[in-house]
Amino acid sequence: MGKLEGKVACITGGTRSIGRAMAEAFVAEGGKVVVNGRSEEKGREALAEMDAGDAVAFYAGDVTDQATVEGLIDFTVDHFGALDICCLNSGGVKLTAPVAQMTDEEWQLELDWNLNHVFWGMRKALQHMIPNEAGRILVTSSVEGKLGKPGIPGYAATKHAVNGLVKSAAHEVGTLGITVNSILPGLIETDIVRETGPASAEMMGLGSYEALLDVFAQEAAIKRMNTVEEVAAVAVLLASDAGRNMTGCMFPVDGGTMPY
Amino acid sequence: MGDLDGRVAVVTGGSRGIGRAIAEAFLDEGAKVVITGTNAEKGAQALAEIDRADDVTFLQADAMKREDCEAAIDTAISTYGKIDVLVNNAGGADNHAPVAELTDEAMDLALKWCLWSTFWSSRHAVKPMLEQGWGRIINVSSVEGKVGKPGISTYVTAKHAVNGLTKSMAQEVGAAGVTVNALCPGVIETDITREVGPAAAESMGITYEELIQHFAQEAATKRVMELEDVAAVAVLLASEPGGGISGSLISIDGGTAPY
Repeated sequence: MGKLEGKVACITGGTRSIGRAMAEAFVAEGGKVVVNGRSEEKGREALAEMDAGDAVAFYAGDVTDQATVEGLIDFTVDHFGALDICCLNSGGVKLTAPVAQMTDEEWQLELDWNLNHVFWGMRKALQHMIPNEAGRILVTSSVEGKLGKPGIPGYAATKHAVNGLVKSAAHEVGTLGITVNSILPGLIETDIVRETGPASAEMMGLGSYEALLDVFAQEAAIKRMNTVEEVAAVAVLLASDAGRNMTGCMFPVDGGTMPY
Repeated sequence: MGDLDGRVAVVTGGSRGIGRAIAEAFLDEGAKVVITGTNAEKGAQALAEIDRADDVTFLQADAMKREDCEAAIDTAISTYGKIDVLVNNAGGADNHAPVAELTDEAMDLALKWCLWSTFWSSRHAVKPMLEQGWGRIINVSSVEGKVGKPGISTYVTAKHAVNGLTKSMAQEVGAAGVTVNALCPGVIETDITREVGPAAAESMGITYEELIQHFAQEAATKRVMELEDVAAVAVLLASEPGGGISGSLISIDGGTAPY
Protein backbone atom coordinates (compact mmCIF):
# COMPACT_ATOMS: atom_id res chain seq x y z
CA MET A 1 0.00 0.00 0.00
CA GLY A 2 1.36 3.38 -0.99
CA LYS A 3 0.93 6.45 1.14
CA LEU A 4 -1.23 8.13 -1.54
CA GLU A 5 -3.22 5.17 -2.83
CA GLY A 6 -6.06 6.41 -5.03
CA LYS A 7 -5.34 10.09 -4.37
CA VAL A 8 -5.56 12.52 -7.27
CA ALA A 9 -3.09 15.38 -7.61
CA CYS A 10 -2.38 18.19 -10.03
CA ILE A 11 1.01 19.89 -10.25
CA THR A 12 1.79 23.16 -12.00
CA GLY A 13 5.19 23.12 -13.64
CA GLY A 14 5.22 19.36 -13.40
CA THR A 15 7.13 18.25 -16.46
CA ARG A 16 10.62 18.97 -15.12
CA SER A 17 12.66 19.38 -11.95
CA ILE A 18 10.85 19.73 -8.60
CA GLY A 19 7.34 19.30 -9.99
CA ARG A 20 8.38 16.27 -11.98
CA ALA A 21 10.02 14.70 -8.92
CA MET A 22 6.81 15.28 -6.95
CA ALA A 23 4.77 13.67 -9.73
CA GLU A 24 7.03 10.62 -9.80
CA ALA A 25 6.98 10.30 -6.00
CA PHE A 26 3.17 10.60 -5.91
CA VAL A 27 2.76 7.93 -8.58
CA ALA A 28 5.22 5.66 -6.73
CA GLU A 29 2.95 6.00 -3.66
CA GLY A 30 -0.16 5.01 -5.60
CA GLY A 31 -1.41 8.45 -6.63
CA LYS A 32 -2.71 9.75 -9.95
CA VAL A 33 -1.32 12.98 -11.27
CA VAL A 34 -2.01 15.66 -13.86
CA VAL A 35 1.17 17.54 -14.66
CA ASN A 36 1.07 20.96 -16.25
CA GLY A 37 3.64 22.77 -18.34
CA ARG A 38 3.82 25.32 -21.14
CA SER A 39 5.28 23.08 -23.81
CA GLU A 40 3.24 20.28 -25.40
CA GLU A 41 6.49 18.70 -26.51
CA LYS A 42 8.02 18.65 -23.02
CA GLY A 43 4.72 17.32 -21.73
CA ARG A 44 4.82 14.41 -24.16
CA GLU A 45 8.47 13.78 -23.26
CA ALA A 46 7.65 13.80 -19.55
CA LEU A 47 4.80 11.31 -19.95
CA ALA A 48 7.01 9.03 -22.04
CA GLU A 49 9.88 9.17 -19.54
CA MET A 50 7.63 8.63 -16.53
CA ASP A 51 6.06 5.63 -18.26
CA ALA A 52 3.25 5.48 -15.70
CA GLY A 53 0.40 4.68 -18.08
CA ASP A 54 -3.01 5.98 -17.09
CA ALA A 55 -1.75 7.24 -13.73
CA VAL A 56 -0.38 10.43 -15.32
CA ALA A 57 -1.91 12.97 -17.69
CA PHE A 58 -0.61 16.24 -19.11
CA TYR A 59 -2.35 19.61 -19.28
CA ALA A 60 -0.68 22.28 -21.39
CA GLY A 61 -0.71 25.95 -20.57
CA ASP A 62 1.07 28.93 -19.08
CA VAL A 63 0.22 29.51 -15.40
CA THR A 64 0.55 33.28 -15.79
CA ASP A 65 -2.80 32.90 -17.57
CA GLN A 66 -5.65 32.50 -15.07
CA ALA A 67 -7.64 30.32 -17.47
CA THR A 68 -4.78 27.81 -17.59
CA VAL A 69 -4.60 27.45 -13.81
CA GLU A 70 -8.35 27.11 -13.36
CA GLY A 71 -8.54 24.87 -16.41
CA LEU A 72 -5.95 22.54 -14.89
CA ILE A 73 -8.06 22.11 -11.75
CA ASP A 74 -11.23 21.44 -13.75
CA PHE A 75 -9.41 19.07 -16.10
CA THR A 76 -8.05 17.09 -13.16
CA VAL A 77 -11.51 16.69 -11.63
CA ASP A 78 -13.00 15.71 -15.02
CA HIS A 79 -10.19 13.33 -15.92
CA PHE A 80 -9.66 11.49 -12.63
CA GLY A 81 -12.97 12.28 -10.91
CA ALA A 82 -11.48 14.07 -7.90
CA LEU A 83 -8.91 16.55 -6.64
CA ASP A 84 -7.21 15.57 -3.40
CA ILE A 85 -3.85 17.31 -3.72
CA CYS A 86 -3.08 20.57 -5.49
CA CYS A 87 0.62 21.43 -5.91
CA LEU A 88 1.20 25.00 -7.01
CA ASN A 89 4.79 24.55 -7.93
CA SER A 90 5.56 26.58 -11.02
CA GLY A 91 7.53 29.78 -10.51
CA GLY A 92 10.62 31.70 -11.36
CA VAL A 93 12.19 34.81 -12.77
CA LYS A 94 12.72 35.77 -16.41
CA LEU A 95 15.08 38.74 -16.12
CA THR A 96 17.02 39.44 -12.94
CA ALA A 97 17.49 43.09 -12.04
CA PRO A 98 17.92 45.20 -8.91
CA VAL A 99 14.93 47.28 -7.88
CA ALA A 100 16.40 50.44 -9.41
CA GLN A 101 16.41 48.83 -12.84
CA MET A 102 13.37 46.53 -12.52
CA THR A 103 10.82 46.97 -15.29
CA ASP A 104 7.07 46.99 -14.71
CA GLU A 105 6.73 44.17 -17.23
CA GLU A 106 9.13 41.85 -15.35
CA TRP A 107 7.56 42.80 -12.01
CA GLN A 108 4.08 41.94 -13.33
CA LEU A 109 5.33 38.66 -14.81
CA GLU A 110 6.81 37.57 -11.47
CA LEU A 111 3.61 38.56 -9.63
CA ASP A 112 1.51 36.52 -12.07
CA TRP A 113 3.90 33.55 -12.16
CA ASN A 114 4.78 33.23 -8.48
CA LEU A 115 1.83 34.75 -6.62
CA ASN A 116 -1.30 35.15 -8.75
CA HIS A 117 -1.03 31.64 -10.16
CA VAL A 118 -0.89 30.30 -6.61
CA PHE A 119 -3.92 32.39 -5.60
CA TRP A 120 -5.93 31.37 -8.68
CA GLY A 121 -5.10 27.70 -8.18
CA MET A 122 -5.67 27.73 -4.44
CA ARG A 123 -9.05 29.46 -4.73
CA LYS A 124 -10.28 27.07 -7.40
CA ALA A 125 -8.91 23.99 -5.62
CA LEU A 126 -10.54 25.03 -2.33
CA GLN A 127 -13.89 25.33 -4.09
CA HIS A 128 -13.58 21.62 -4.88
CA MET A 129 -12.06 20.61 -1.54
CA ILE A 130 -14.29 22.51 0.91
CA PRO A 131 -17.51 20.57 0.06
CA ASN A 132 -15.55 17.31 0.43
CA GLU A 133 -13.99 18.45 3.70
CA ALA A 134 -10.67 16.98 2.59
CA GLY A 135 -7.67 18.17 0.67
CA ARG A 136 -4.03 19.17 0.58
CA ILE A 137 -2.61 22.30 -0.96
CA LEU A 138 1.16 22.46 -1.34
CA VAL A 139 2.91 25.58 -2.52
CA THR A 140 6.52 25.47 -3.65
CA SER A 141 7.94 28.57 -2.07
CA SER A 142 11.67 29.08 -1.52
CA VAL A 143 14.28 30.13 1.02
CA GLU A 144 13.70 33.49 -0.66
CA GLY A 145 10.27 33.35 0.96
CA LYS A 146 12.06 34.20 4.20
CA LEU A 147 15.27 35.85 3.00
CA GLY A 148 16.23 38.37 0.36
CA LYS A 149 19.07 38.43 -2.12
CA PRO A 150 20.15 41.33 -4.30
CA GLY A 151 18.91 41.27 -7.86
CA ILE A 152 15.84 39.11 -7.34
CA PRO A 153 13.49 41.52 -5.55
CA GLY A 154 10.41 40.28 -7.38
CA TYR A 155 11.16 36.67 -6.59
CA ALA A 156 11.77 37.42 -2.90
CA ALA A 157 8.66 39.61 -2.69
CA THR A 158 6.36 37.09 -4.35
CA LYS A 159 7.74 34.09 -2.42
CA HIS A 160 7.27 36.02 0.83
CA ALA A 161 3.75 36.82 -0.35
CA VAL A 162 2.75 33.22 -1.03
CA ASN A 163 3.89 32.30 2.46
CA GLY A 164 1.47 34.86 3.84
CA LEU A 165 -1.29 33.54 1.62
CA VAL A 166 -0.61 30.00 2.82
CA LYS A 167 -0.77 30.98 6.49
CA SER A 168 -4.07 32.82 6.07
CA ALA A 169 -5.70 30.08 4.01
CA ALA A 170 -4.54 27.42 6.49
CA HIS A 171 -6.48 29.18 9.23
CA GLU A 172 -9.55 29.56 7.04
CA VAL A 173 -9.92 25.85 6.27
CA GLY A 174 -8.12 24.20 9.19
CA THR A 175 -11.25 22.64 10.65
CA LEU A 176 -12.39 21.27 7.27
CA GLY A 177 -9.78 18.55 6.89
CA ILE A 178 -7.81 20.67 4.42
CA THR A 179 -4.19 21.59 4.99
CA VAL A 180 -2.29 24.37 3.24
CA ASN A 181 1.50 24.38 3.44
CA SER A 182 4.58 25.86 1.81
CA ILE A 183 7.78 23.99 1.07
CA LEU A 184 10.88 26.19 1.12
CA PRO A 185 13.72 24.59 -0.81
CA GLY A 186 17.23 25.93 -0.90
CA LEU A 187 18.93 26.15 -4.26
CA ILE A 188 18.49 23.13 -6.49
CA GLU A 189 20.22 22.99 -9.84
CA THR A 190 17.08 22.69 -11.94
CA ASP A 191 16.75 23.43 -15.64
CA ILE A 192 15.39 26.88 -14.81
CA VAL A 193 18.38 27.65 -12.61
CA ARG A 194 20.72 26.56 -15.40
CA GLU A 195 18.87 28.87 -17.77
CA THR A 196 18.67 31.98 -15.57
CA GLY A 197 21.64 31.35 -13.26
CA PRO A 198 24.40 32.80 -15.43
CA ALA A 199 22.59 36.16 -15.74
CA SER A 200 21.85 36.17 -11.99
CA ALA A 201 25.51 35.48 -11.24
CA GLU A 202 26.65 38.32 -13.46
CA MET A 203 24.14 40.69 -11.92
CA MET A 204 25.23 39.71 -8.41
CA GLY A 205 28.85 40.37 -9.40
CA LEU A 206 29.88 36.77 -8.74
CA GLY A 207 32.02 36.17 -11.81
CA SER A 208 30.60 32.82 -12.83
CA TYR A 209 27.55 30.58 -12.63
CA GLU A 210 29.55 28.07 -10.58
CA ALA A 211 30.34 30.81 -8.06
CA LEU A 212 26.61 31.47 -7.70
CA LEU A 213 25.92 27.83 -6.93
CA ASP A 214 28.76 27.83 -4.43
CA VAL A 215 27.42 30.93 -2.64
CA PHE A 216 24.14 29.14 -2.03
CA ALA A 217 25.80 25.86 -1.04
CA GLN A 218 28.09 27.59 1.44
CA GLU A 219 25.14 29.29 3.12
CA ALA A 220 23.74 25.89 4.06
CA ALA A 221 24.92 23.93 7.07
CA ILE A 222 25.27 20.92 4.78
CA LYS A 223 27.50 22.89 2.37
CA ARG A 224 25.76 21.56 -0.70
CA MET A 225 22.68 22.29 -2.76
CA ASN A 226 19.44 20.42 -2.24
CA THR A 227 17.92 17.83 -4.57
CA VAL A 228 14.50 17.48 -6.11
CA GLU A 229 14.07 14.11 -4.37
CA GLU A 230 14.45 15.79 -0.97
CA VAL A 231 11.61 18.16 -1.80
CA ALA A 232 9.45 15.36 -3.19
CA ALA A 233 9.80 13.33 0.02
CA VAL A 234 8.43 16.26 2.03
CA ALA A 235 5.60 16.71 -0.48
CA VAL A 236 4.62 13.05 -0.02
CA LEU A 237 4.57 13.45 3.76
CA LEU A 238 2.45 16.60 3.65
CA ALA A 239 0.08 15.04 1.10
CA SER A 240 -0.34 11.79 3.03
CA ASP A 241 -2.68 10.99 5.91
CA ALA A 242 0.28 11.39 8.28
CA GLY A 243 0.43 15.06 7.25
CA ARG A 244 -3.11 15.80 8.44
CA ASN A 245 -2.02 17.92 11.41
CA MET A 246 0.63 20.01 9.70
CA THR A 247 -0.82 23.17 8.23
CA GLY A 248 0.22 26.76 7.77
CA CYS A 249 3.72 25.36 7.91
CA MET A 250 6.75 26.73 6.07
CA PHE A 251 8.56 23.42 5.64
CA PRO A 252 12.28 24.01 5.06
CA VAL A 253 14.31 21.82 2.71
CA ASP A 254 17.37 24.02 2.71
CA GLY A 255 20.12 22.19 4.55
CA GLY A 256 20.11 24.76 7.33
CA THR A 257 20.22 28.01 5.38
CA MET A 258 17.39 30.01 6.89
CA PRO A 259 17.81 31.46 10.38
CA TYR A 260 14.17 30.81 11.30
CA MET B 1 12.15 -2.29 1.87
CA GLY B 2 11.78 0.25 4.65
CA ASP B 3 13.06 3.81 4.60
CA LEU B 4 15.38 2.99 7.53
CA ASP B 5 16.62 -0.48 6.62
CA GLY B 6 19.90 -1.21 8.39
CA ARG B 7 19.79 1.93 10.54
CA VAL B 8 20.34 1.91 14.30
CA ALA B 9 18.54 4.44 16.47
CA VAL B 10 18.35 5.53 20.09
CA VAL B 11 15.10 7.07 21.30
CA THR B 12 15.26 8.54 24.80
CA GLY B 13 12.05 8.38 26.76
CA GLY B 14 10.88 5.66 24.40
CA SER B 15 8.58 3.55 26.58
CA ARG B 16 5.54 5.71 26.12
CA GLY B 17 4.11 8.69 24.28
CA ILE B 18 5.93 10.40 21.42
CA GLY B 19 9.15 8.43 21.92
CA ARG B 20 7.30 5.14 21.74
CA ALA B 21 5.47 6.20 18.56
CA ILE B 22 8.77 7.22 16.95
CA ALA B 23 10.43 3.95 18.01
CA GLU B 24 7.60 1.90 16.52
CA ALA B 25 7.62 3.92 13.29
CA PHE B 26 11.40 3.39 13.00
CA LEU B 27 10.96 -0.36 13.57
CA ASP B 28 8.27 -0.46 10.88
CA GLU B 29 10.76 1.11 8.46
CA GLY B 30 13.42 -1.51 9.19
CA ALA B 31 15.57 0.09 11.89
CA LYS B 32 16.92 -1.41 15.13
CA VAL B 33 16.09 0.72 18.12
CA VAL B 34 17.29 1.24 21.69
CA ILE B 35 14.63 2.88 23.83
CA THR B 36 15.35 4.35 27.25
CA GLY B 37 13.19 5.17 30.24
CA THR B 38 13.52 5.61 33.97
CA ASN B 39 11.02 2.92 34.86
CA ALA B 40 12.10 -0.70 34.24
CA GLU B 41 8.57 -2.01 34.58
CA LYS B 42 7.23 0.35 31.92
CA GLY B 43 10.20 -0.55 29.75
CA ALA B 44 9.43 -4.25 30.04
CA GLN B 45 5.81 -3.56 29.25
CA ALA B 46 6.82 -1.56 26.16
CA LEU B 47 9.03 -4.39 24.92
CA ALA B 48 6.21 -6.88 25.42
CA GLU B 49 3.73 -4.69 23.56
CA ILE B 50 6.12 -3.95 20.69
CA ASP B 51 6.95 -7.68 20.49
CA ARG B 52 10.05 -7.36 18.28
CA ALA B 53 12.70 -8.89 20.57
CA ASP B 54 15.49 -8.98 17.97
CA ASP B 55 15.09 -5.39 16.88
CA VAL B 56 14.47 -3.39 20.01
CA THR B 57 16.30 -3.07 23.33
CA PHE B 58 15.23 -1.26 26.48
CA LEU B 59 17.80 0.45 28.69
CA GLN B 60 16.78 1.76 32.07
CA ALA B 61 18.29 5.23 31.99
CA ASP B 62 17.61 8.62 33.48
CA ALA B 63 17.95 11.41 30.93
CA MET B 64 18.95 13.74 33.74
CA LYS B 65 22.18 11.80 34.32
CA ARG B 66 25.10 12.18 31.93
CA GLU B 67 26.36 8.64 32.34
CA ASP B 68 22.90 7.28 31.53
CA CYS B 69 22.65 9.41 28.38
CA GLU B 70 26.04 8.16 27.24
CA ALA B 71 25.19 4.57 28.15
CA ALA B 72 22.23 4.63 25.76
CA ILE B 73 24.50 5.49 22.83
CA ASP B 74 27.05 2.89 23.96
CA THR B 75 24.27 0.28 24.20
CA ALA B 76 23.26 0.89 20.58
CA ILE B 77 26.86 0.43 19.48
CA SER B 78 27.48 -2.68 21.60
CA THR B 79 24.13 -4.28 20.71
CA TYR B 80 23.64 -3.31 17.06
CA GLY B 81 27.12 -2.19 16.03
CA LYS B 82 26.64 1.55 15.49
CA ILE B 83 24.52 4.64 16.06
CA ASP B 84 22.89 6.32 13.06
CA VAL B 85 19.93 8.18 14.51
CA LEU B 86 19.55 9.82 17.91
CA VAL B 87 16.12 11.03 18.99
CA ASN B 88 16.37 13.25 22.05
CA ASN B 89 12.79 12.86 23.14
CA ALA B 90 12.95 12.73 26.95
CA GLY B 91 12.08 16.05 28.51
CA GLY B 92 9.67 17.89 30.71
CA ALA B 93 9.26 20.31 33.58
CA ASP B 94 7.57 20.42 36.95
CA ASN B 95 6.80 22.78 39.84
CA HIS B 96 5.51 25.43 37.45
CA ALA B 97 5.06 28.97 38.68
CA PRO B 98 5.22 32.51 37.32
CA VAL B 99 8.80 33.77 37.17
CA ALA B 100 8.32 35.99 40.24
CA GLU B 101 7.63 32.89 42.35
CA LEU B 102 9.76 30.37 40.47
CA THR B 103 12.27 28.27 42.41
CA ASP B 104 15.84 27.59 41.34
CA GLU B 105 15.06 23.89 41.54
CA ALA B 106 12.18 24.10 39.05
CA MET B 107 14.36 25.91 36.49
CA ASP B 108 17.22 23.51 37.09
CA LEU B 109 14.94 20.50 36.61
CA ALA B 110 13.63 21.72 33.25
CA LEU B 111 17.14 22.51 32.03
CA LYS B 112 18.46 19.11 33.13
CA TRP B 113 15.52 17.22 31.66
CA CYS B 114 15.28 19.03 28.31
CA LEU B 115 18.59 20.73 27.62
CA TRP B 116 21.41 18.92 29.45
CA SER B 117 20.00 15.53 28.40
CA THR B 118 19.96 16.62 24.74
CA PHE B 119 23.45 18.07 25.02
CA TRP B 120 24.94 15.01 26.75
CA SER B 121 23.40 12.51 24.33
CA SER B 122 24.21 14.58 21.25
CA ARG B 123 27.83 15.21 22.23
CA HIS B 124 28.36 11.50 22.78
CA ALA B 125 26.50 10.31 19.67
CA VAL B 126 27.93 12.80 17.21
CA LYS B 127 31.49 11.49 17.51
CA PRO B 128 30.76 8.06 15.97
CA MET B 129 28.38 9.74 13.52
CA LEU B 130 31.17 12.04 12.30
CA GLU B 131 33.53 9.08 12.00
CA GLN B 132 31.07 7.18 9.80
CA GLY B 133 30.11 10.33 7.87
CA TRP B 134 26.38 9.81 8.39
CA GLY B 135 24.07 10.67 11.21
CA ARG B 136 20.75 12.16 12.20
CA ILE B 137 20.01 13.94 15.45
CA ILE B 138 16.34 14.72 16.02
CA ASN B 139 15.45 16.80 19.06
CA VAL B 140 11.87 16.64 20.22
CA SER B 141 11.28 20.25 21.11
CA SER B 142 7.85 21.85 21.27
CA VAL B 143 5.72 24.68 19.96
CA GLU B 144 6.90 26.20 23.26
CA GLY B 145 10.37 26.26 21.72
CA LYS B 146 9.10 29.02 19.44
CA VAL B 147 6.47 30.85 21.48
CA GLY B 148 5.94 31.60 25.17
CA LYS B 149 3.09 31.03 27.54
CA PRO B 150 2.67 32.47 31.03
CA GLY B 151 3.33 30.24 34.01
CA ILE B 152 5.47 27.63 32.24
CA SER B 153 8.62 29.65 31.68
CA THR B 154 10.91 26.78 32.69
CA TYR B 155 9.65 24.58 29.87
CA VAL B 156 9.54 27.45 27.36
CA THR B 157 13.08 28.48 28.26
CA ALA B 158 14.48 24.96 28.07
CA LYS B 159 12.80 24.20 24.72
CA HIS B 160 13.97 27.51 23.21
CA ALA B 161 17.47 26.55 24.34
CA VAL B 162 17.17 23.15 22.67
CA ASN B 163 16.25 24.93 19.43
CA GLY B 164 19.34 27.12 19.73
CA LEU B 165 21.54 24.09 20.32
CA THR B 166 19.93 22.45 17.28
CA LYS B 167 20.80 25.37 15.00
CA SER B 168 24.40 25.69 16.19
CA MET B 169 25.15 22.01 16.05
CA ALA B 170 23.63 21.74 12.56
CA GLN B 171 26.14 24.33 11.34
CA GLU B 172 29.01 22.48 13.01
CA VAL B 173 28.43 19.05 11.50
CA GLY B 174 26.48 19.74 8.31
CA ALA B 175 29.38 19.24 5.93
CA ALA B 176 30.13 15.85 7.50
CA GLY B 177 26.86 14.15 6.59
CA VAL B 178 25.17 14.68 9.95
CA THR B 179 21.92 16.60 10.22
CA VAL B 180 20.45 18.11 13.39
CA ASN B 181 16.81 19.15 13.53
CA ALA B 182 14.11 19.90 16.07
CA LEU B 183 10.49 18.82 15.95
CA CYS B 184 8.11 21.34 17.48
CA PRO B 185 4.82 19.56 18.18
CA GLY B 186 1.74 21.22 19.54
CA VAL B 187 0.17 19.68 22.59
CA ILE B 188 -0.55 15.96 22.43
CA GLU B 189 -2.52 14.15 25.11
CA THR B 190 0.14 11.66 26.14
CA ASP B 191 0.36 9.88 29.49
CA ILE B 192 2.85 12.54 30.59
CA THR B 193 0.52 15.35 29.56
CA ARG B 194 -2.22 13.79 31.67
CA GLU B 195 0.20 13.47 34.60
CA VAL B 196 1.86 16.89 34.54
CA GLY B 197 -0.80 18.87 32.68
CA PRO B 198 -3.01 19.61 35.67
CA ALA B 199 -0.15 21.29 37.56
CA ALA B 200 0.85 23.33 34.50
CA ALA B 201 -2.77 24.36 34.03
CA GLU B 202 -3.01 25.41 37.66
CA SER B 203 0.11 27.56 37.25
CA MET B 204 -1.59 29.19 34.24
CA GLY B 205 -4.76 29.74 36.27
CA ILE B 206 -6.97 27.34 34.29
CA THR B 207 -8.19 23.73 34.50
CA TYR B 208 -6.53 20.84 32.64
CA GLU B 209 -9.48 20.60 30.24
CA GLU B 210 -9.23 24.33 29.58
CA LEU B 211 -5.50 23.91 28.98
CA ILE B 212 -6.10 21.28 26.29
CA GLN B 213 -8.86 23.38 24.71
CA HIS B 214 -6.68 26.47 24.91
CA PHE B 215 -3.95 24.77 22.88
CA ALA B 216 -6.44 23.27 20.43
CA GLN B 217 -8.09 26.62 19.76
CA GLU B 218 -4.75 28.22 18.93
CA ALA B 219 -4.31 25.79 16.04
CA ALA B 220 -5.84 26.31 12.62
CA THR B 221 -7.11 22.74 12.93
CA LYS B 222 -8.75 23.50 16.32
CA ARG B 223 -7.62 20.17 17.71
CA VAL B 224 -4.60 18.72 19.49
CA MET B 225 -1.96 16.68 17.66
CA GLU B 226 -1.51 12.93 17.65
CA LEU B 227 1.59 10.83 18.23
CA GLU B 228 1.65 9.45 14.69
CA ASP B 229 1.89 12.98 13.25
CA VAL B 230 5.22 13.48 14.99
CA ALA B 231 6.53 9.99 14.22
CA ALA B 232 5.96 10.46 10.46
CA VAL B 233 8.15 13.56 10.40
CA ALA B 234 10.84 11.81 12.47
CA VAL B 235 10.94 9.01 9.88
CA LEU B 236 11.33 11.53 7.08
CA LEU B 237 14.20 13.33 8.84
CA ALA B 238 15.93 10.02 9.60
CA SER B 239 15.59 8.74 6.04
CA GLU B 240 17.95 9.29 3.10
CA PRO B 241 16.00 12.19 1.51
CA GLY B 242 15.85 13.81 4.96
CA GLY B 243 19.57 14.52 4.50
CA GLY B 244 18.73 17.80 2.79
CA ILE B 245 17.05 19.19 5.90
CA SER B 246 19.14 20.48 8.79
CA GLY B 247 19.04 23.17 11.46
CA SER B 248 15.28 23.27 11.00
CA LEU B 249 12.63 23.72 13.65
CA ILE B 250 9.73 21.83 12.13
CA SER B 251 6.29 22.72 13.38
CA ILE B 252 3.81 19.89 13.82
CA ASP B 253 1.23 22.05 15.47
CA GLY B 254 -1.78 22.40 13.19
CA GLY B 255 -0.74 25.93 12.33
CA THR B 256 -0.13 27.30 15.82
CA ALA B 257 3.36 28.79 15.77
CA PRO B 258 3.59 32.02 13.78
CA TYR B 259 6.89 31.02 12.14
